Amino acid sequence: MSRLYIDNDMARFTRKDITLVDMQLYDGRIFTDLEPRRLFPLTGLQKYITLLDSEGVEKAIIRNLATLPDKDRKIIEDCLEEYYLIPKITKIIDCREKFGLLTIEVETDKGNASIEIRNIIHGIKLMYRTRVLFRDNNDNRYEIPDINRLDKKSRAKIDTFL
Amino acid sequence: MTKEKQTKHTDIHRIDPGKKGLGNSEVPRSQEKDDSLVNEPFRGEKLLANKRLEASDREILEKTIPSDEILKFVIVGDLSLGSKYAKSILAVTDKHIYGFDDSFEDKVKVYGYDSIKRAYVKRYYGNAMLVFFEDDFEGDKIDLSKKHVGFIRFSYKVASLYDAAAHFIESIAAGKDMDEEMAVVEASFEKQFRVCPRCGRNLIRPGAPCMNCQSKKKVISKIASYVMPYKFILLFCLVLSGITTAASLVPPYMTKTLVDEVLPNGRSDMLIVCVGVLLATYLVQYGIGAIRSYMLKVSGDSIVADLRNDVYEKAQHLPMRFYDRTSTGSVINRISGDTNTIQSFMLRITQEVVVQFFLLIGIIIIMFAMNWKLTLLSLIPVPFVVVGSRIFGKKIAPFYRRIWRRWSAVSSILTDTIPGIRVIKAFTNEKSSVENFRSYNGEWLRTDVKASRITTLFPNIVNLVITCGSLLIWGVGGKLVIGNPTEFSPGLLMSFISYTSMFYGPVNFFANLNDSYQQALNAVERVMDIIDAEPESNFAAGKHPDRLKGKIEFRNVNFSFDRSKKTLSNINITIEPGDIVGIVGTTGAGKSTLIHLLMRYYDSYDGQILVDGIDIRDMDLQFYRSEIGYVQQEPMMFHDSIYNNIAYGCDNPHVEEIIHAAEVANAHEFIARLPDAYDTVLGERGTGLSGGERQRLSIARAVLKNPSILFFDEATASVDSETESLIQDAIERLIRGRTTLMIAHRLSTLRKANKIIVVDNGEIIEMGSPEELMAKKGKYYKLIQIQTMADQIQKTKEEERFE
Repeated sequence: MSRLYIDNDMARFTRKDITLVDMQLYDGRIFTDLEPRRLFPLTGLQKYITLLDSEGVEKAIIRNLATLPDKDRKIIEDCLEEYYLIPKITKIIDCREKFGLLTIEVETDKGNASIEIRNIIHGIKLMYRTRVLFRDNNDNRYEIPDINRLDKKSRAKIDTFL
Repeated sequence: MTKEKQTKHTDIHRIDPGKKGLGNSEVPRSQEKDDSLVNEPFRGEKLLANKRLEASDREILEKTIPSDEILKFVIVGDLSLGSKYAKSILAVTDKHIYGFDDSFEDKVKVYGYDSIKRAYVKRYYGNAMLVFFEDDFEGDKIDLSKKHVGFIRFSYKVASLYDAAAHFIESIAAGKDMDEEMAVVEASFEKQFRVCPRCGRNLIRPGAPCMNCQSKKKVISKIASYVMPYKFILLFCLVLSGITTAASLVPPYMTKTLVDEVLPNGRSDMLIVCVGVLLATYLVQYGIGAIRSYMLKVSGDSIVADLRNDVYEKAQHLPMRFYDRTSTGSVINRISGDTNTIQSFMLRITQEVVVQFFLLIGIIIIMFAMNWKLTLLSLIPVPFVVVGSRIFGKKIAPFYRRIWRRWSAVSSILTDTIPGIRVIKAFTNEKSSVENFRSYNGEWLRTDVKASRITTLFPNIVNLVITCGSLLIWGVGGKLVIGNPTEFSPGLLMSFISYTSMFYGPVNFFANLNDSYQQALNAVERVMDIIDAEPESNFAAGKHPDRLKGKIEFRNVNFSFDRSKKTLSNINITIEPGDIVGIVGTTGAGKSTLIHLLMRYYDSYDGQILVDGIDIRDMDLQFYRSEIGYVQQEPMMFHDSIYNNIAYGCDNPHVEEIIHAAEVANAHEFIARLPDAYDTVLGERGTGLSGGERQRLSIARAVLKNPSILFFDEATASVDSETESLIQDAIERLIRGRTTLMIAHRLSTLRKANKIIVVDNGEIIEMGSPEELMAKKGKYYKLIQIQTMADQIQKTKEEERFE
């Protein structure tokens, strides 16, 4: 079965609900209640967005959000924004490790948060030498998009654990 | 979500817009450390809450909830509907469900139970939402095209409580008994607080103080407990150290005598005596030193062996969840490298610190006796060395952590790839594998090189300062000798210089002690992370019936590996003793997880699993597992003889029992054909045997164990038809009279099953006898149809090929 890839203006999207869209293809086919999800939520935020129906069956894949018309791109981005909560850390307030539990107090674009990580190797991943992904004990996610853009004090506090 | 939806049900009770919202919503979450199970009454009624409510929150609840409603429970959440960190409150009363969120237009939304047809937690990525479904629906799947409303958003921190809340709301909306449903909610709240909010370890009872977080001195006392068994040897070594230290102070003094009295006066007789004294001193110093070193080595090795034994033993009892999240490399690193670091530090602390301290004091006394002015001069570098050491300690500590982590990553690559060398070769991936290793090893090298800059620079700076100090002695002392040789002789200067160089030995030692202290502290933390880690909970140790009959019940069991996705939902099963139950379903449906929960690999599920009417968590873990036989798809064999592999986990079985077990498992014949028969030593992971042969050995293991309950997890999935039939025969002989759960892809292996459970997406969608399910023409029927068709096609192909 060939996979349906969406590029450019092949489809029109309408927002259905918090994380759901309806999709009409250029050939007239209509798919309803599709949930956009990233196939690469860590490494490819804009590319390869799968569209799943209510049964979890994939109906199409958007190759690259950037190629979609602005209106459609915005609809998909809004859904993804609702689905994925990965607060971006802007400042490290405090960072301490005791009895194997790392507690990081941070400022994020979503407000202040306290991240508790028991297994540092599992919970902190450095990607491409600059991006840091955190996964806390409760499976909540956070990220530092570019560690070089943190202030010096924040950088020094987190460096030990990278 | 539309505004209309948000406000549709808010017409009952409103908070005046503009009035202050939820208390402390902008406070950093670090200040919310008072997590504890709260049962503070509200309007005189018992109220369940996951957090202490602030006065302003209580005030809002008082104002919003009419006095004729009884508030049942409250969940304080951490996200606003717009995904910002802010306080939200779900308040559930006997009549309504209230959601408080400052981002709501009226700060509150209210639903009556009559308007809700279904409530569920929709899990997103890193957050989740309580969703109400307003229309009637039928069937198992939620039709997302129907009207549903996102009510409150929250992080996974409180997701399990919201699961319970959703279940409660849906049940009450369906007209179920409120008190009964409340018991389920209470259990969820209690479960949440059976873990320490600080360190996450299980508490002995809900709300109990955490033993781990109580004492900060625990680490030191833990390590000291490993030294105590060897305290007499170590004390004796300390006495020997005193003798060698005293002996080491003699030679410089003899230098003075030789230079000032023996050599200038040509005293040959004294020369022989001095040389004799020096010889005796050296013999004592090095002879006793050798004995001391040997005893220290023995006691040090014993300490590290004890520590390793404990870490390894503890590693055996850690729950699967620990291994799900900890790399093997890091565990191995702790058992090997870290224990060595701790050993050397313990010896330094118990021996060298004392020795070096007395040496330092002895030298200072002698030096002061010789010349106090020169002694004070020689102390000048000390403050620089001490301050430098503190700075060095702070600089180097993060590097040691980083180096350890990098090395753990390298170890993980090794433990991953070396056992998987066959796969690497099969996919000709040697080059990429080497590159990957180089990359991680390079990371380690880079960090180590960075640390080396500090570790090598610091001692050299210290040495430079010390050398400059001795230059001072040479300058000032030399002037004294030239100015007044009778009062300050050349021999005295020589002797003083010798003592000065000896003096900096202990100074240097104490300056560098911080370095090894930092290393050891890191190692201790990591080793203690395993030793202090919560083992598989066995709160019911010693409590068990004589023998299990084999009745198994799942009651409302929900489970997830991580909080982002539910693996099992609402599982309710009853299996009678002697039942042979087939579990079928697509890959990833949750079949193996069912077995893993029954094996008690994971205890952190909601609901209850009962065996013979007893909650399996209330039964002695060792006894319980000893009553279960588990045959896996990929049986694990050890690098040992076939005999020992069959006898694994069984104390001193009789030879004939082993042979009988092998016979029942259809393994005896192939074993007997091997040149070394039962003494054949298998390679690592059982290499040297085929998959089917390994499987039959694992069945023999199960036969020998004589369990009450048997689990088979795709036991015949990876073998050919002929071997499958041999294994199938063995299984049929084994399962007679025992409760058996069999996971199978090949439905033909379930021909003896009297009950079938069909699992899909973590839920049980069909259950009953094979005949019932066939008559129902549901998922099982479809699976049978598909497989029958596939078998026919294969049969036809085989016949064609044969022709």
